[in-house]
Amino acid sequence: MAASPLLDREFLEKLERLTIHWQKSFAGLVGGHNKSRLPGAGQEFLDHRNFHYGDDLRAVNWHAYLRLEKLFLKMFQVEPRVPVRMLVDLSASMTAHGGGKFEYARKLAASLCYVGLVRLDSIEVHGFSNHLGHRIASSGGRHRFPGVMGRLSALAPEGATDYLAVTRELIGSYSQRGLVVIISDFLDDRSCERALQYLADYGHELMLLQIWADEDRVPPWTGELELRDAETGAGLKLDFDDEARRRYTHAFDEYASAIQTMAHRSGGRYAGVSTSQSLESVIFGDLIRVRGIA
Amino acid sequence: MYFLNLSLPQLVALFGAISAVSVALYLLDRSRRKQVVSTLRFWVAAEQPAVAARRRHISQPWSLILQLVSMALLLLALAQLRFGAPAMAGRDHVMVLDTSAWMAARSGNRTLMDIARQNAREYLRAVPARDRVMLVRADALATPATSFEPDHKKVEAAILASRPGSTALNLDQALAFARHVQGQEGRRAGEIAFIGSGRTAERDPGTAAPPRNLRVLLVPDAIENCGLRKIGMRRSATDPDLWEIYVSTHNYGTRARTVTLFADFGPPNVATRAAVGSQALVLPPGGDVETTFQYRTAAAGMLGVKLTPHDAFPADDQAELELPGQPHLAVTVYSDQPDLLRPVLSATPRLTTVYRTPAEYKANDAGLVILDRFIPPQRPAADSIWIDPPAEGSPIEVKKTVENVPFAHWDAGQPVAAGLRSKDFKLDKASVFETAPGDGLIGEVEAGPVIVVRPGKPKIAVLGFHPALSPMRYELAWPLLFANLLRWVSPEIFLRWEVGGGSVGTVKLQVEDNVPVKDVAVTAEDGSPVPFTLRDRTLDFFAGSPGAVRVVAGDREYMYSLTLPQLGDAKWEPPANTHRGIPRFSDVMDRVSDIWPWLALAGAAGLLIEWLLYGRFRMAQFATRTVAERSAESVEVR
Repeated sequence: MAASPLLDREFLEKLERLTIHWQKSFAGLVGGHNKSRLPGAGQEFLDHRNFHYGDDLRAVNWHAYLRLEKLFLKMFQVEPRVPVRMLVDLSASMTAHGGGKFEYARKLAASLCYVGLVRLDSIEVHGFSNHLGHRIASSGGRHRFPGVMGRLSALAPEGATDYLAVTRELIGSYSQRGLVVIISDFLDDRSCERALQYLADYGHELMLLQIWADEDRVPPWTGELELRDAETGAGLKLDFDDEARRRYTHAFDEYASAIQTMAHRSGGRYAGVSTSQSLESVIFGDLIRVRGIA
Repeated sequence: MYFLNLSLPQLVALFGAISAVSVALYLLDRSRRKQVVSTLRFWVAAEQPAVAARRRHISQPWSLILQLVSMALLLLALAQLRFGAPAMAGRDHVMVLDTSAWMAARSGNRTLMDIARQNAREYLRAVPARDRVMLVRADALATPATSFEPDHKKVEAAILASRPGSTALNLDQALAFARHVQGQEGRRAGEIAFIGSGRTAERDPGTAAPPRNLRVLLVPDAIENCGLRKIGMRRSATDPDLWEIYVSTHNYGTRARTVTLFADFGPPNVATRAAVGSQALVLPPGGDVETTFQYRTAAAGMLGVKLTPHDAFPADDQAELELPGQPHLAVTVYSDQPDLLRPVLSATPRLTTVYRTPAEYKANDAGLVILDRFIPPQRPAADSIWIDPPAEGSPIEVKKTVENVPFAHWDAGQPVAAGLRSKDFKLDKASVFETAPGDGLIGEVEAGPVIVVRPGKPKIAVLGFHPALSPMRYELAWPLLFANLLRWVSPEIFLRWEVGGGSVGTVKLQVEDNVPVKDVAVTAEDGSPVPFTLRDRTLDFFAGSPGAVRVVAGDREYMYSLTLPQLGDAKWEPPANTHRGIPRFSDVMDRVSDIWPWLALAGAAGLLIEWLLYGRFRMAQFATRTVAERSAESVEVR
């Protein structure tokens, strides 16, 4: 039986009117949705020039040749846009409690990709855990979306998260600043705040989407527990009661607030999402509210 | 205080087992749960101090206590805890309701069954509510209509649904059954109440005395009744078209009666039937009168027998029997000398014989074809007997021809040769046949068989000589051989029919010959087999419902039209010390109320409280509440 698609057509139609937003102006690029006037491979006509040996014959203006018996080459304008890079957490912690977080993260990433494709944005999606995964290029219009969705569906979680290593690799790979969307549970034992701060200091605009399962925030269990970390395999034995649950939730909320504060301080956006929320309510509610999309 | 359903050791054992399982499940539930989590960083912050952790090993003892108490309450409800002495407990009564055929008789404007149903309902109302009652419908068989039922409304519904059957009451069997089911139940035995007329089949004098807890609610039945008891029909041995009809009538009453017996025959529509005869009979009290009629017909039809005037029990005043038609076998003889065969063929009245010359031969004749020294251009499609066929066209190959040889013997093992004897005689000329496997050798000379039959479809019999042109014509074996051949070719034509009408129940039939069991078949109207026993030429079978039963035993066929109700001859008189009438049970029994519903409710409430206080319900509620709070906080932060 074929796997069902991540997003159905009805939901995609609802996404048509949305746009991914960023606030910064990035050096060397036209900010927002303004176009450049640089010649190159593009969609809109810019000018004609004389044909030279080695030019692409597909760009020859054959109508002009028939009239003037001279070869002229059509030139098109390049449309450089602000690069949007999306990092999707593939660590093992995303699979805890039934794998709901990982599935949710993939759907959220696919939704944002579709929003970007509709607006002809160029989005590069990377899975990551302790290193940056292969790039999934998402550009060229909505008709490219099935391929992007297929590759997102093929992503598989593995390994432990290492935000510092991933940040180093991202900065080393892409010198061009842009919007960085990170979809993750941000549950890294070595604290991810420093690595995120590096990205912001480098000049990227951050949009942090923290995903958690209800069990991550309010563990439903009571009594004697023997816990194992999904990423590191470390164990912990403890008694858990209502008081302990209250302390746990308090610590979790403090951590989420710290990430949120870091994002706001660096001019970025943050949204915390529970997997029990519907994807539609998150995109049309939380993300619009934090001005991640409009 | 006592337990209705369980003894104290059983209760203790059950509670011990349940408690052990409950404690084990409790400990398992509270044991350390293994869980994979996304990160340990928040758990470390939430971890309990070591002292508190040890104390928590015995956490939530009230949960366990509440569970055990609830289980105990449910178990007590199951055991039906009662206060007082066991003597105050309910009893099990058996109501034996007479549903024999006689209960359809009318007394005034009601049937005896109506009166019996009324008595049964009154008895049921008198029984204390805590007592259980079983209803047994009794005719020839004792059939329980309900189990021991605490819900008296169900028993009353079963009483109202009871109808008179077709068989006579077998009282001893019904009482024995009631006593047996009462003995099987663990509760105190109540009464066995017989409600009915008590008209029963002949009882065995050695029958055990009625049970001491028997109560009798007799339905008065001073009803005068005359009825048909048995009807028998058979074809006359000398004239196959003549039916001999035998009717037996009986006066069940105490006064002599004069009745008219009338018989008619024809199609199922009564109005178009022809009268067979009528006779006026004087029936003495308790006596039988047997009447005979004769009626000539070869056709099939319905024979109706009526007794007038009708009485209070009209069900046995008329009966109808279906008479089968007389089948005939069509025989076509091709011979230049038909007079040689005419005597043996005309001796059998069930044959319709046509004589033709060989020039008139047709291959598609139906029935039986006899070819006298004649080879047809095309073999007949029907069964055939070939008499002295020329060697070049014989259906069974001729091995050789012998002359002036003595006839050796008949093969007594073959049905066709059954009963054939003959003195020594010589055959002037005869063909000896080359037989094949499966052929039957009937008569032989020293050189081989001269009379052979070949079973199959069609059947073929070949005679290597003409018996009427040989010395065999002076032997008795000559007509007997032909009769046997005709019977072998078409046995159904020679079936002897007997038609009987009687009452349902056990039917005994005397089979004339020593018929092997494999040749006996007893079937109902729908063709389903009816179980039977065959012992010392007596065939027994039981028909529980009205209908026709067909018995085939050898060359005889018996048709039983069992439509008459079976009536008992004897009137049962209960012993003088038997309880009679509607009883008055002690009221104290009804004052004791059941507490098991309250115990069950308390147990269920205990389990519900435990679940609310300590179970998953609380966890789920807590989780929902905190997530909702968190969502509200998030909105405010942004």
